[in-house]
Amino acid sequence: MSTTSLAQTEVDAGEPLVSMRRVSKYFGSFRALHGIDLDVHAGERIVVCGPSGSGKSTLIRCINMIEPINEGEVVVEGVTMGANKSASEIVRRDIGMVFQQFNLFPHMTVLANCMLAPMKVRGVARAEAEATAMTYLERVRIADQANKFPAQLSGGQQQRVAIARALCMSPKLMLFDEPTSALDPEMVKEVLDTMIWLASEGMTMICVTHEMGFAEAVAHRVIFMADGEIVEHAPPQEFFGNPQHARTKAFLAQIL
Amino acid sequence: MVRIFGLDDFILLLVGLQWTVLIAAVAFVGGAVGGLAIALCRVSPKRLLRLPAKYLIEIFQGTPLLMQLFLVYFGIGILGINVNPWVAISVAYTCHASAFLGEIWRGCIQAVPTGQSEAAFALSLSYRHRMRYIVLPQALRISLPATIGFLVQLIKGTSLASIVGFTELMRSGQYITNATYQPMIVYGVVGLMYFALCWPLSFWSTRMEHRMAAASR
Repeated sequence: MSTTSLAQTEVDAGEPLVSMRRVSKYFGSFRALHGIDLDVHAGERIVVCGPSGSGKSTLIRCINMIEPINEGEVVVEGVTMGANKSASEIVRRDIGMVFQQFNLFPHMTVLANCMLAPMKVRGVARAEAEATAMTYLERVRIADQANKFPAQLSGGQQQRVAIARALCMSPKLMLFDEPTSALDPEMVKEVLDTMIWLASEGMTMICVTHEMGFAEAVAHRVIFMADGEIVEHAPPQEFFGNPQHARTKAFLAQIL
Repeated sequence: MVRIFGLDDFILLLVGLQWTVLIAAVAFVGGAVGGLAIALCRVSPKRLLRLPAKYLIEIFQGTPLLMQLFLVYFGIGILGINVNPWVAISVAYTCHASAFLGEIWRGCIQAVPTGQSEAAFALSLSYRHRMRYIVLPQALRISLPATIGFLVQLIKGTSLASIVGFTELMRSGQYITNATYQPMIVYGVVGLMYFALCWPLSFWSTRMEHRMAAASR
């Protein structure tokens, strides 16, 4: 699949799907996020990068309320997160998340991992949940392992299951928190390929990652963070070809 | 009249053993229910639930079991409620077991990696569902060795019920000793009975601990 075909997938120009307004987050006296403003439209793919401790993971964890924010607001699908508990709970169902450490449930089979939330949260019937789960496991090419336990799979396989598990909730937005950082090098590609497939399906994605090749091929915009602030914010060609900020240049020099 | 320790006495001890098992079983089942409630309070995000549970555990862990027994046994009587010793003892041991199991299970719930509840939260599972399907099943596994270890302590602890006059295994032994003047034989048999009850559990618990250590490598 070519880079250009991906870059041309539809981005909805209307109301943003996610809108962060002056978001600040403190851990004790440590300022993890400071006055973050960010709009993400449906169909858009954003890559967030930056040195460790720059707040990039915190940023996406604030979107689905894993981290409560201290100032500002996060609006998803027009709902201010946390303002109305039941309304934000319903919106949260549309946000899928993939973690660095996979976080599959070790006491459940791959299939059960994928069926639990649709059944308990969306109230989907067992047979339907199983069919959906198998469809997505098929898509991430791991359906043959459906009845195994997570510990029996490789890291790359586990991460693909984690992606399938999130997709089973039919999310409108997918958050990726360094999905390939805990993987052995030979398994990075299979996970990135899965994410590229997801991008080609038009999924809205916010990915914290250091995979710059992925960013170049898939992202509409790249965000560079440092010390809890968005330092640079540009389409990938500009971001990599002509970075403006000294910190961005220093960061890119180190990782490219 | 002094008699020799014989089959009748052995059967009397077995009857006592039956009561010992029964007290331990009631305390363990009651303690499992109470302990789960206390453990859930201890890890609750609400301070109003967390603190009372914490104090309750500290009180029961900081005082002797015998004192707790006396307090409940005589305390209920002072309240003007006429209860039989069996009920009083059950209540006392259940409270004791609830506090200890609550503390053991609190630790096990907190030993489940936070990534697990975060993943469940990200999937929008409710607090109840996160606990029931994700955290508690994993905590239960972690807790098995310590829980069985406590059950052994509980079984041995039931011998204190003899002091408030309840005829379990230890008390039966005292009666028979008074009649036979053969304390070495009688208490020897009593000891073997406790051992026969506790040792398999300890063995099981140790083996499980080894197996879990191997599994997590």
